[in-house]
Formats: sequence, structure tokens, C-alpha cells
Amino acid sequence: MKRSRVRRTRRRRSYIGRFFCYFYKNNSTVLHIVSQTANMSSPLAKPQIIAHLQKSLNYTVFDTKWIPCSAKFVCMGNFPRGTGVMQIYEVEHGDAQLIKEVEKPKPIKCGTFGATSLQQRHIATGDFEGNLNIWNLEMPEVPVYTVKAHKEIVNSIDAVGGLGIGDGAPEIVTGSRDGTVKVWDPRQKDSPVANMEPMEGETKRDCWTVAFGHAFNDQDRCVCAGYDNGDIKLFDLRNMSLRWETNIKNGVCCVEFDRKDISMNKLVATSLEGKFHVFDMRTQHPTKGFASVSEKANKSTIWQVRHLPQNRDIFMTAGGAGNLHLWKYEYPAQRSKKGSDNKDVGVAGSVSLLQTATLSTQPIASLDWSPDKQGLCVCSGFDQSVRVLIVTKLNVV
Amino acid sequence: MSAEDPGFFLQNQSTRIGYSWKVPVEHLDYGYIEKCKDVKYLEKILRVLRSGDEGIYPHLINFCESHLEKLDPTSRVLRKETPVATAASLPHNEWSQIVDGLKRWQEETKKTETLLKQQSMFDDLVKEDMPPMRGSNCSIPLSQTSVPKRNLSKHAVPRDYREWDKFDVEKECESIDGNSVKNDPAAVINTGHPKIKTKVDASLLTQQEKLLLSNRETDKGNEAFRAKDYEEAVAYYSRSLSIIPTLAAYNNRAQAEINLKQWHNAMRDCLRVLKLEPGNKKALLNRARVYNHMGNFQMAAEDLRMVLREEPQNAAATQLLSETEKKMKECPPEPHSKGKKILIQEVEEEDDNKNDPNAKQTACPVEPSQPVGGEESSAAPAEKGDMGNAQKKPHSRGDGGPHSEFNNSNQGHWRSKGGSSDKYKVTQESKEKVANGTGKRGSTASVPADQSSNSKETPVRGNAGGTVNLDAPCGALPPPLARLKNEGNLLFKNGQFADALEKYSQAIQGFTDSGIDSPEDLCILYSNRAACYLKDGNSQECVQDCTRALELQSFSLKPLLRRAMAYESMERYRQAYVDYKTVLQIDTSVQAAHDSVNRITRLLIEQDGPEWRDKLPNIPLVPLSAQQHRREEPPSAEVLKARAEKAAIDAERKAEVRFTALKQEGNDFVKKGQYSDALGKYTECLKLKPEECTIYTNRALCYLKLDRFTEAKQDCDAALKVEPSNKKAFYRRAMANKGLKDYLACSSDLQEVLQQDPNVQEAEKELEEVTVLLRQSLANANNSAAKPRTTVPITEVEGDEETAGVPTSESSHRGEDVIVNLQPTNACQFGQALNAARSSRNTAACADLLASTAPEMLPNFLSTQLDANNISFIIQALDYHLLEKDPNLVYQHLNNLHTTDRFSVVLMLLEKNERHHLTQLFEHLSAVQSTEFTKNDVQNLANKYI
Repeated sequence: MKRSRVRRTRRRRSYIGRFFCYFYKNNSTVLHIVSQTANMSSPLAKPQIIAHLQKSLNYTVFDTKWIPCSAKFVCMGNFPRGTGVMQIYEVEHGDAQLIKEVEKPKPIKCGTFGATSLQQRHIATGDFEGNLNIWNLEMPEVPVYTVKAHKEIVNSIDAVGGLGIGDGAPEIVTGSRDGTVKVWDPRQKDSPVANMEPMEGETKRDCWTVAFGHAFNDQDRCVCAGYDNGDIKLFDLRNMSLRWETNIKNGVCCVEFDRKDISMNKLVATSLEGKFHVFDMRTQHPTKGFASVSEKANKSTIWQVRHLPQNRDIFMTAGGAGNLHLWKYEYPAQRSKKGSDNKDVGVAGSVSLLQTATLSTQPIASLDWSPDKQGLCVCSGFDQSVRVLIVTKLNVV
Repeated sequence: MSAEDPGFFLQNQSTRIGYSWKVPVEHLDYGYIEKCKDVKYLEKILRVLRSGDEGIYPHLINFCESHLEKLDPTSRVLRKETPVATAASLPHNEWSQIVDGLKRWQEETKKTETLLKQQSMFDDLVKEDMPPMRGSNCSIPLSQTSVPKRNLSKHAVPRDYREWDKFDVEKECESIDGNSVKNDPAAVINTGHPKIKTKVDASLLTQQEKLLLSNRETDKGNEAFRAKDYEEAVAYYSRSLSIIPTLAAYNNRAQAEINLKQWHNAMRDCLRVLKLEPGNKKALLNRARVYNHMGNFQMAAEDLRMVLREEPQNAAATQLLSETEKKMKECPPEPHSKGKKILIQEVEEEDDNKNDPNAKQTACPVEPSQPVGGEESSAAPAEKGDMGNAQKKPHSRGDGGPHSEFNNSNQGHWRSKGGSSDKYKVTQESKEKVANGTGKRGSTASVPADQSSNSKETPVRGNAGGTVNLDAPCGALPPPLARLKNEGNLLFKNGQFADALEKYSQAIQGFTDSGIDSPEDLCILYSNRAACYLKDGNSQECVQDCTRALELQSFSLKPLLRRAMAYESMERYRQAYVDYKTVLQIDTSVQAAHDSVNRITRLLIEQDGPEWRDKLPNIPLVPLSAQQHRREEPPSAEVLKARAEKAAIDAERKAEVRFTALKQEGNDFVKKGQYSDALGKYTECLKLKPEECTIYTNRALCYLKLDRFTEAKQDCDAALKVEPSNKKAFYRRAMANKGLKDYLACSSDLQEVLQQDPNVQEAEKELEEVTVLLRQSLANANNSAAKPRTTVPITEVEGDEETAGVPTSESSHRGEDVIVNLQPTNACQFGQALNAARSSRNTAACADLLASTAPEMLPNFLSTQLDANNISFIIQALDYHLLEKDPNLVYQHLNNLHTTDRFSVVLMLLEKNERHHLTQLFEHLSAVQSTEFTKNDVQNLANKYI
């Protein structure tokens, strides 16, 4: 009885298989083309990076960010006449439509939604003059919060504590060419809540990138900063101390934790000469620090790295030659082991390339995954255009 | 081959032209490349080839690439600059899928966005629970704070002679050791999970936010799970569940818990899922794993079979099943005691949850406090263990078959309506159903069978309902053949199909030999043998036997059905289809036939295309006499009886549904604190099912909350009658007894609870409290009875204080905004407390205040507060509250009160009715007998006041 049931189902399955083969054959010509263009052994198994939309802009765009819980994104940049601009686009009917455009006196370098609530969705931006502004995008004429944060350009901004990401207070961190990294609480006017600056007499390094992480409870929180000389510094905001530092020999273009609101897990740092390093942040050895693995995507600078919000082990790097690389980090069997001195040492995993795509000849300077729709991302390059990409099959890698 | 210097290699990489001489031209060859195993060298060859310095050979390049890919698929040289794909580079349908998904998402987000905006219009409130800001402008140095560690005490000063006396060698050594260790900080490991809160306070959030948040937490859990950090995964799943409980999160948490070997937690999660969705495959699979690890292979196998029935190609289930079966063979039965233990614990857990309906889990719509489903589903399989048949072959369709069918096979059609649909249905919840079904049907089946023996339609058809009686007469069969048949039935029931087959064959042989003319009996025998063949997988023979049976009695249901199944298993779908159709003509209620017809129709359409019907053999027309003949018959006595029975079962089921609904409502009311409403619901429940222990205990809880202790006690008694060891009932009866001031009974009940489960902390606490009360009440009894002059035990005073403490805490709980500082330490505090009490006219609070104040301190405390109002208020408090509790204290207070400054002045200001209070107090006081003061003392004191 039972045997016969099994046989029957097997038979049924084979029908499906045959059907599938038929389908496959019919499309094989198309698939062949795809496999030629993408140079993949099994085109159906791998994620694909597809250019969905492209918009040419009449200004230099430095940063793009999805507005959480919407199909809209914000582009920030610099008009040729030297003023700043913010544009909001909505993805609709296969097109990106401009909804709003505001001009600001100073070019805007970077922005983030990380410290706002889902209801408000205010964007915090840093500009060329060193100002930190928070805008209500419904009424972007006057900033909700403004402070002269740095003496020089704000290179990078990141925030945590909003959008339900990260317990604890909403905080914004800015890194600037003046060598300081400052943490701001939007509830406090005029002065930062933490200030990481070089001591008297120390040389000031240009801070290129900052990132929040380790915000898994009310107290713990870390800021990671990357500098032009290859320094990476990890500040512990709980103890108000420098927790770890290292040097990757080349300017650090971008650092990002794989997730902000968990106990630090991984940190990716990209560098000027095309290499990136993945640090396993779970085990810190007193002298050796964190274990890391490095990989070279290309000979050109990696401008950005962004982890997929839905899967922290997948991340995309955007390179100076206009190309994107999609990577996956694989954990080792054991993430830590006993070192020779009987202390725990982290063990780095490996990184594998999932897909590449070349978008343009100019560098891709910013990249942002949609927090709501898996696989949707927006990127902008110095070719004065912004693109919406779709990355497929991210759920099966 | 090359063993090259890496330095050279690197250079080569950067400026490859000009170094091509490193690769000899003869190496750029199919033969060489094919043989070459050195990846690095191959990469180099490829670079040379690509550079085109030696000419362009596209085929050779391709060949080299493919060869390299074979050796090292991740080689960097193989990475190519690829233009970004566009919509055109995808198959059309795939692309349209993506676009559709995108469009749907856009619409959804639009909706959520507008919702979010609307909400933000209304609650632009500042979240109060936001954590505080960090200190302002804290500076963190950029470099490691490497404060030059100059060892200040470089020059060890020689010790003083006196110090040498205190010199402790051990300690000194230790400190030296310690120093050396301290130099190196330990490795920091961020496992983090103990610090992760497992609950998220999402009460302020909107539904959309909650959904997003809970999804994100699930994602985090999944990631941690993939990174094999199961504890963290469990923490994040719990967070997700605390925001919005979802089946997926429960399932995933169960899986993580399995990996952590937290079997009980995993089991609880599985049961929760199964309660919400009885056939959830993942939950079943997880539960099977848990069972498997707990050694309960029987249950594990059952769960796995259920999964496989749903999804036959589930590899994990198949593998686990084979493992389980192997283990089952290794350590045969007796897993029941173990399994049972777990189940009971589980039930207790659920009960515990329920017991605490006040524990607010508002964010949790799936309250764990409805043990109905869980209890039943877990209880059912345990029951099933008793039924040998169901236990052995639980996967075979129609377990109930042999019972009913073999007893009264053909004439029993009237019952097949109710029976067969149950019997042949293979549904998700079949496990419980089958188990219950066999139980019920097994018992009910024998009853009508008995009746049928004296019905006129089936003259002396025997019943073998009692399997013990092998010699029971069987239709027109002579005793030896009847015996053979009964033996066959028994063997069949036990799953020994081959042996049963033999018996039936013998019976058939004997039957034909003896030349009896009873086609019905022969038909039954053939039909039964066919069943054996079917079970054995011998479809050919089965078909033959069924055909024979049908020749003898055309259009009898069982043989037709069996033949259909046999055809189906032989993949002769057309014949099977015809047979099923015939079955349906005879009786439309055979669910299995319906299912099969649907299935086969699909298969036939696939096989034969749209004209599949043309290829079918003719479906025989079933004569009206055979069609549903039981309807045409005048409803005989047993038919009526059967209908009544069915109706009863239906009613029972309905009652069951209503019962659960009522109970749920009751539980909800309890959760909301509406005890009297809950009371009504529970009372209705009990009308439906007077034997339900939990309802009694729940109602008792309501009574307790409503301070109706007698009723509560009665309910507990009732519950204990049903379930003599229910600790909830004991506990609640204890509370009721406490309310009734029957401390003895109370403490004995509490002791009973603690005996059953020593971990119940409330019970322990209560017991302590009650013991004190008990001792006190005993002492009181003694006092009033015989020995008025014994010294007052100190415990009594303590007890007094405690009881005095209780009402205040209650009054403050009741939400009257009087906060009375019960332990004033200075005049100011006392004054505040007194004013607070007086402003709310709360004499009880004042009495408590006075009770906790030392009498000799009273004048001090009162000095600034002394006015007529206060005096009269204090007098009232003393009179109404304190006097009956502790007259001595009242006396002392009064004795001290008049020493206060300005007392005589204030006394003069008292009004008439206030004076009246005063005299009343002294009258009462003089009426009290005490060891510490006499009537004369009171009189003297009174003179000072009045």
C-alpha cells in the first residue's frame, strides 16, 4: 500500500521534471545569451544584477538613500554653481519620478535616516561647510536641527537608534576632514555628546568614513572610523575609550558593520587600492585584535560597501571603475580558537564572489539597499547619474 | 612547469607586457594546457593569451579558461568585467515576475506609508521611554591611552621591623603572581547573547512598525542561526515573538532550541505552532526530532509519517524516519513511560501559564493559555499506544477498517456513511482523528454489530466484535470456517497480513469444498482476502479477489473500493477511475473515493490530454436498488439508533466547540480583569462539561478575585474530586481558606501543593504567612479561652504589625492617592503622613501610622501639628481601628498624647461631637481587659482629657 503510494508520487514528480526540461529547452537560446554576457556556469543559480532604472542628473551626486518604508529615494549633491541639492525620486511604473527638489546653500556630501523614527523619517545630512542638518522632507525649507559640527567638510555620516534599529538613544556620528569624529544626539543643541579628536600635537588625519555598530542594548555602542592613512579605529561609546585600532596601509574609503543592532559580528573596511578587509568582530585578542580576511575586487578604489539589510552575510562593494561586486561571507567551522598564549583568537572565514557588474566608467560613489524590498538598491556615480538596480535570487544564496 | 618567484609574479601581474618571455611559446598549446595542473602558471598563460602578444586564439583562450575553471573555479583571473544585466537579458517570464513583485511592493509600501503618515499626524509625541543622552562633549583620545607606566615604587623601601611581624608569605606570593597575570587582559569575546533583551517593548508602536521590527528580528535570528550561534538566534527569535508572534519564528526558535538541546522549550514551541496550525510540517518535523532525542521513537515516527504523507519527497523526514525506525528496532517498546512524563510536564507548563492570567502579555495575541488543543493533541497519541493496531501501522489508510468492516461487512453499509468518511480520510489532523476515531469507533462498532445479529435483514450474521471469541458464529458459515475467518480478522487487525491471508484462503477453500450456497459469505471472504493482498502490495491478486467477490455480489462497496485502490497502485488509472466512480454511485459519501477521483482525473488529463474521457471504459450504471439502498429502506430500529448516536456525537462535537469558545472567552475576561464576566462564561462551560477540572480551578480563581471564598472553595473541592492531585486547585483552595480565615485547612492545602511541586514560590510564601496567622489565631483562642494572664508572646506583636501592614498596602493599591509613609523618622515626615491621611479622611491609614509609631515619640512628632482637628482625627483612628487590634498601644498612645505641648489649650478648642468621640474612646478602652493597665488607670487618664 505504502510502497505503491511512493511509486505514484515519484511518477508525478517525473512529469514535472519533464515539463521543466521542456521549458528549459525552449528558453535555452535566451539563457545562452545570458550566460555569455554574465559568464556564469549556471546562470539560474546565481544572483543577477539588473539595471532597472537610470536617471541622468544635472549635478554631481554624492549620496543616495532610500526613504524607509517607501519606494522613494533621496539624492544629495552639488550643483555646478556651487550650491547643494536634495532631490526625492519615487520609483513608480518602471520609472523614477522626481517628486521634490530643494536647493541648499552648501553642497551636501552625505545623509542618513538612521536616527529618526519611522513616522517622522527626517534625514540628517552633512555638508561641505561642516554643518550637520536634520531635515523634515515634507517641509525641507528649514532644518529641524542644525549645528556647525566641523570646521571642514563632513565626509561621512551614520546614525543609529532610530527606525527600530538599535536600542538606546538616537545618535548621529559625523566624520570630517578636520580629523574629528563627533557623536550627536538630536535632542542636544550645539555640542556633541562625544568627540573623538586628535590630542594636542598629534597630526590630524582626514576621516573618510564612520559607522555605528554594536548597539544591541541600551548601553553598548561602538563607532568605527576610517582615516586617509589607513587607520581604522574602533571607539567604545560605553566606556568612552578607544577599543581597537589597526592600519590597513591604504586609505580607508568605507567601513560598515554587517548589522548595527547586534553584538558586533563583522566589519568590512574598503580601501583606496581596491582591497577590502572583513574583520570578525566576535573575538578580540588582547594583542592580535580581530581576525580578518582580505580580498581584492579590482585594481580601482572601492568607494562603498553595503550589507544587505535582510542578510548580513551578503554585501556589495562599489568600485572606482564603475563596477559592483556582490560578495558572500562564509563562516569558518569554528569562529574562535585557543591561541598559543591560551587566549581566544578569532578565526576569519572566507569571502566568495557572487556576481559582478560594470555600470559605467566613472566611480560608483554611493550605494544603498532598500531596507524594505530585498534586492532593490540605488547607486549613484560620478557620471552624474543615479541607477536603481535589482539583484535577484538573494534569498537562495 | 614553473616554480616562480612570487615577486616576479606580482610584477608580471602589473606590467604583463614585456614579461611574456617568461612563458615559452610552446606552452601556449592545447596539449600543454590540458596537462598543466599549476593554477598560478595557468593563470599566467591565460594572461599572456589574453594580452594577444603571441597572437589571438579565441578557442585556445576559451579552452584555457574552462580548464582553469575546472582546477580552480574561484580564480581571480576568471573574473571578468561584465556589463550590468538588463531586463532583456532575463527570460521574459522571470523578468515579468520581478516586475510584478516590484509593483506589488510599491503598492504595499504606498499604503503603509500613508498609514504611517496618518499616525504621525496624531502622535507626534515624544517617546518618554527614550534613553537619556550621553554626557555632553566627552572627549575620546584618538590614540590608545598609553599613559607611560612608570613604576613609581622602583626602589623598594626596606620594611619596617614591626611590619615583618605582620608579613604574610602566602599573601605576598599571591600578589606577586597576581601582578604577572594582570599584565595581560583576557581576550574579549563578544558572544553578547546574555545581554540581549529577549523582550521588546513594542507597546507604543503601530502595527506596521511592529511588523517591520518583528521581521527584522527574525532576520537577525536567521543570520545568527546560519552562523551557528544558536543562543543568539533564540534570543532574537524571542524578541521577534515578543513583538508579533508568527509561526515561522516559533518554528525557527524550536529548531535553534533543538540545536541547543533544549528539548522542552523546543517541544513547547512545536506545540504552540501545532495548536495554531495543526498540520504544520516544520513543527511536526521538529517535534519528531525532539521525540527522537527524548527516546520516544514511536511518537517521532508518527510525526514523521504525517509529514511524509503531506510531502512524500521530504528528504529530511525520510532520513529521520529511517533512523528512528532503526532505533526503534534497537530498543523496542517501553518508550511510553518516558514520553508520558514529558507530556505531563508539558501540560503543567501550559497550566502554569494559564494560571497566571494577570501576567500581561498584551503583545501576544496567541496566548499560550489555552491548553485545549495542546492537551488534546498530546494526550491523544498517548492513548493511542494502547491500540495495537493503530500503533503498528498508523500510516496505513483506514485503520479503523478491520474493526467495523470485518464484523459486518456487506450489510453494514448503513454505517459506512459515518464510518467510511472518517476511516478513509487522510487528512492533516488524521493523527488525532485516527486515534480518536479508532477509539470511539472501536467501542461503538461492537454495539451496533451486536444489534445487527438479530435484525431481519442480516439473519444470523455473527459478530466478531469481541476479538477474543474466535468461535463466534459467522453468517452461514459452519463453525470451523467461521473460526478460520475470525482468526483471519484477528491477524489482520494485528497487522499480520500474510497469516491472515492464509486463514482466509483456507476458509475459502473449505467453503468451496463444503459446497455451501451463501454467496454473501464467500464474497466477504474474498473481499477480506483482497484487503490482505492490498496491504501486502500484491495488487494483482487483490484485483482478482475483488473481481470474484463482485461476481458473487455485484456493486458491493468494499470490494469495489479495494479494487480501485489496487488499480490505482498498479497505475491503471482508467480502471481505478471507473471503480471509484461506481463506488460513488453507490455511496457518495466515501471521502477517499472523492479524493482519489480528483487525483486520478488530474493524472489522466496529464496522460491523455483533454480527451481523456473518451478513453475510459464504460462506467457501469449502478441499479437503483444498490444505490444508497439504505435510504430507501424504512428506517429500521438500528438505523434510527445509529442516527441518534450520530446526532449525539455531533452534538458532542458541537458542545466541544462551544465549550472551547466559552472557555477562551472566560480566559480572556480573566486576563482583562473582568472576573464576574469570566465567572458567567465558566459557569456556562461547566453546564456543558461538568467534569472539566481546569474550568473549576479557573472559576475558583474568579471567585477568589471577587472575594467569594465559599464558592471558590466549593469549586476547588469539585476540581479535586475530578482530579485529586491538581495543585492549582489545592493552591486556590488554600487561598479561599485563607480568605475564610480557616488557616489550618489553608496551611494543609499549601503543604499539599509544596509536596507536589516544591518549586512553587508563591505557595511557600503563602505558607509562611499563613503559619504566622495560624499561630496567632491559636494564641488568640488560647488567650480568650483560659489563660488571660499569660505573657503576650512577642510573635503576636509581630503578627499584628504584619496584619496592620496589609490593609495599607491594599488601600494604596486600590489607587486612593494617599501615600502614607509608614515609618516616619521625624516630625516632618509624621506630619506629612498624618496630613495625607487626614485630607482623605482615611482613619485606617492613620491607625497604621500610629501603630508603627512608638508611643513615647508621639508628643515629639505631634508637637508642631497639634490642633483640634488632628487630635480628633487621631482619637477617631484609635477608636475605630487600633482599639480592637491592640488596646495596649492605644493606652500608651493616650498616655503620651496628653504630654504634648499646648495639649490643654488644644483640648479646650475641641467641639462637642469631638468631645463625644473622646468619651466614647475611653468607654471602649475601659471595657477592654488588659494586663498592662487597669480600669483605674484608664479613669485617671480620662480625667486628664475630659
